[in-house]
Amino acid sequence: MAGVAEIREGFLCPICMKDLGTVSQLQDHFEEEHSSEDKDVLQQLRGLFDKAKKRILGDKEGGDSTDAGETRKGDNSKPSGGIPGFDPSVWEPQDDGVTRSHTDMFRSIRDERIDRYVVETNKLLIRLDKLVVNDGVFDHKKRKAYEKSVVNWIPDNQVPKCPTCGRSFTLTKRRHHCRLCGGIMCDRCSQFLTNSYARKLTDPAFQFEGENGFLKRSDSNSSLNSIASPEGEVHVRTCQECRKLLERRDQLVEQRNTKPTIVLLYEKMRSCISDCDVILEQYIPMVESLSIGESSYSFQDAQRYRLKLVKLYEAVDQLSKRIMVLGFEDDKTPAAKQIILQKAIRSYASTFMQENMMGLQALPTIEQYTNLQEKRKIEIQQRIAYERQVTIEAQEREKRIEESHHKDVPIKSSNTSPTKAVVDRERSDSQKVSGWKPQVEPKFVNSSSDPMIQQINIIQGYIKQAKQVQKWDEVEMLEQNLKELQKEYMNQQRQNWS
Amino acid sequence: MNVILAIKQYISKMIEEAGPGMKVLLMDKETTSIVSMVYAQSEILQKEVYLFERIDSSGREAMKHLKCICFLRPIRENVELLAQELRMPKYGLYYIYFSSVISKQEVKVLAEADDQEVVREVQEFYGDYVAVNPHLFTLNIIGCGPGLGWKTDLLTRTVQGLTSVLLSLKKCPMIRYQNSSEMARRLAENVRQMINKEAALFEFRKTDVAPVLLVLDRRADAVTPLLNQWTYQAMVHELLGIHNNRINLSNVPGISKDLQEVVLSAEHDEFYANNLYMNFGEIGTNIKELMDEFQKKSKGQAKVESIADMKAFVENYPQFRKMSGTVAKHVTVVGELSRLVAKLSLLEVSETEQELVCQGDHSACLQKIRSLIGNEKVQHTDVLRLVMLYALRYESHSNNDVSGLVEALRKRGVSDKHRSMVHAVLEYGGKKTRGTDLFRDGDPVAITKRFLKGLKGVENVYTQHQPLLNTVLDQLLKGKLKESAYPYLGTSQLRDRPQDIVVFMIGGTTYEESFAVHHINRSNPGVRVVLGGTTVHNFKSFLEEISQPVHGQTPSHMTTRTVHW
Repeated sequence: MAGVAEIREGFLCPICMKDLGTVSQLQDHFEEEHSSEDKDVLQQLRGLFDKAKKRILGDKEGGDSTDAGETRKGDNSKPSGGIPGFDPSVWEPQDDGVTRSHTDMFRSIRDERIDRYVVETNKLLIRLDKLVVNDGVFDHKKRKAYEKSVVNWIPDNQVPKCPTCGRSFTLTKRRHHCRLCGGIMCDRCSQFLTNSYARKLTDPAFQFEGENGFLKRSDSNSSLNSIASPEGEVHVRTCQECRKLLERRDQLVEQRNTKPTIVLLYEKMRSCISDCDVILEQYIPMVESLSIGESSYSFQDAQRYRLKLVKLYEAVDQLSKRIMVLGFEDDKTPAAKQIILQKAIRSYASTFMQENMMGLQALPTIEQYTNLQEKRKIEIQQRIAYERQVTIEAQEREKRIEESHHKDVPIKSSNTSPTKAVVDRERSDSQKVSGWKPQVEPKFVNSSSDPMIQQINIIQGYIKQAKQVQKWDEVEMLEQNLKELQKEYMNQQRQNWS
Repeated sequence: MNVILAIKQYISKMIEEAGPGMKVLLMDKETTSIVSMVYAQSEILQKEVYLFERIDSSGREAMKHLKCICFLRPIRENVELLAQELRMPKYGLYYIYFSSVISKQEVKVLAEADDQEVVREVQEFYGDYVAVNPHLFTLNIIGCGPGLGWKTDLLTRTVQGLTSVLLSLKKCPMIRYQNSSEMARRLAENVRQMINKEAALFEFRKTDVAPVLLVLDRRADAVTPLLNQWTYQAMVHELLGIHNNRINLSNVPGISKDLQEVVLSAEHDEFYANNLYMNFGEIGTNIKELMDEFQKKSKGQAKVESIADMKAFVENYPQFRKMSGTVAKHVTVVGELSRLVAKLSLLEVSETEQELVCQGDHSACLQKIRSLIGNEKVQHTDVLRLVMLYALRYESHSNNDVSGLVEALRKRGVSDKHRSMVHAVLEYGGKKTRGTDLFRDGDPVAITKRFLKGLKGVENVYTQHQPLLNTVLDQLLKGKLKESAYPYLGTSQLRDRPQDIVVFMIGGTTYEESFAVHHINRSNPGVRVVLGGTTVHNFKSFLEEISQPVHGQTPSHMTTRTVHW
């Protein structure tokens, strides 16, 4: 292989891979070109994966900062000073404005009231349970006695007027007792709770199919007897207050336990969308890298991801369509606002697809990819040749200028590892950066026989593997280790030098 | 100090707090404007907010599977409606945000209504103003009060708006006000009171240089809102009228249906953002470029032959559609502007206006106005402007011929109501009320400048005028703003040159002033000025503003006065 002859050696800039030839030139170059990135250098050296991770994190941050980020992005994207009309480009990002919460105070006031309701409702439910369980007692007198034992009935003489409608009781206008609280009201103000509804309230397992738990009053003049069992349904007489309390509880329970179809579909759609987001984060850097001919990612992986994405998009499409037509059956149409809601959800989904699907870069075909790889290889070789040429010239220049520096130019000493690196790269670009890695170290070491270096390489290999199987937490741990090792190694080297 | 961003951050925080799931945004009339100015509907849709409702609309249906974000102004009516809503909740959960301070009593009313435990949050988010541009806000109030005083409810509203600007930007300012204006003093004092009362809210990390709130009164400069404008935003407002970023084009001859009302938002329309402050001429060039670009792409569309072509086209599609939308919109708007300019001889009118205001030859100006009154093409409102400007400019000139001009207006057929404006503007912003030397007749430097200008010729005759605000801010930034004319409220004074400034104009600001502030922000690094007003005026709305003070008087009184002229 001709490439083997082109050993990358000497003073390579770790960032732009330029061969600088001498220490001082490298330093100059570094100060000139990359001084701003200084702090990042170490990380840059740590290999491709680190880069990728940073990118992913970077993307995530961009996404997380929601619209505050968006607007800022919007401002920054304008070339500074180029476009008049948007001044905040010179203004630093600002904090969220002041807010003040009244929630705690609100809660404390509400809870006080609610507690009362809850206690009251629970009492009613216990009594109701007793009444319902013993509904076998049909004998009028016994029944009445039993009902009185459940709750104390307020004595008739204490209540001259119906507390609900305010009319006085007379011989024809008789007093009635609420079986749940024992209060008094007139017949017209009485409510009748069906037994099956009562069962539903007291027993969560009970299947209730009626529409309304309370009997409808047919008219104002219906007397007790005519209502006794209109449809043969056993009932419990209650007052309006008790009815309200019971219905309130029923609604709450109902709401907690049921999810309408639209919610189920919507939740499914949302989970597909968030899956898409996760995969996209990994897929995009893959495609970008692959389509310039790098081989840091496996082609098959990318294909698999792409397939997954397409499937998810289809699911989102289907689900949102189903949501849109929900309720349109048998000449029935949902309520106006419901239609607006469903349309809005559909348009949300289609915007999501437009933004992500349309921009979804297609993978190169296998042939294209191989071509790309070839091209890239040639380009790199050309660059190497060119830089080598430059280096030689520079070295000669420097030789002439300053003899003293020569003693530590380690061209020969750093032979082994860079050679290996290039060979690696020739075989597969996937080791590109880690393969390059030893080249930054010639300054410190002359071979990878150093156990420390070996260890570092091993860990880097692990990280790569972990990345392939997407065990991100392990990757993180490994990276921590790697960092420590590298630090230790640097220290060692520094000591060696001094 | 970006008011648009401040409101956006509030709103996205609300939406965030409600968490995932389908959401509805419940607003009142004012908060609807506040939100719609900073977010496009499609943008907010991507945050899972699918419905937008008004709390006062009766046709809302129960949808228990929605979370409801309420963003409301803390007025009694809203609290009552909300309490009603909570008693019979239509949505599953409620996240309530008030745009300004709400009393404990009102929180209690709401808490007692929430028997169903549907409320999750009750908070104050201080987005109680309409953000127009990053440095411009308005309260959409036209006419602050009869005569020289405040209407109480409008004063309260303005104090709420202004304090919420301060809170949303986290500024606790030193306050200065225009000494000649009683209204400015009252507003300044009320803001100070509010800051003292809610001291806990205003505890921010001290900055090196304290921010400044400068309260001004439109009366000091009644000239600016009378002038024709030539920068895009200002011109559109002057000729077509911008209301909450919307302009009505339904009067444009031969307009297509979908363009009868267009939205111009610098946040969502790049072309508009780039051309807000451009001169009319420059916009023409830019539109042409935009069209060429569009044409190029359109051609690509025609040549869709291969599948690869098609793919490329579809990939470009969202951008493409967006672009075609902006092109059509701006071509229409600019087309209409130039039609009006030609039809109404606006160049001539504007030239005369500028001469009136910036140069000083009385007889020449008078002659020009007379000839324009005789010009059939010029519309009534434009000759009215000229006469009003003349009245202000030569109020105390010995040969002043206001009555002659008003008579000429009458002969031309200008209505009584409009003619009465000439007097109204003198009453509103004449020498007696404004207290400052607006035209700087007594200032030798200004006179020399004017003279030199006359010698050298001016760059653009249509944009010579600089609003008074420019001078005031310039002096403020240099630390030279006179204490006698713009005193501090309280004893403490700023020693350094101010950096963060909020200027508020009672009686409304203008886009010309907004442009001036924009320019100041750009040309003074480190300085950040935010401008606000009770409204943003054009000539039409300014007529409404100045006719307010006269309202208190009987109509008969008004007619006698007109006859008297």
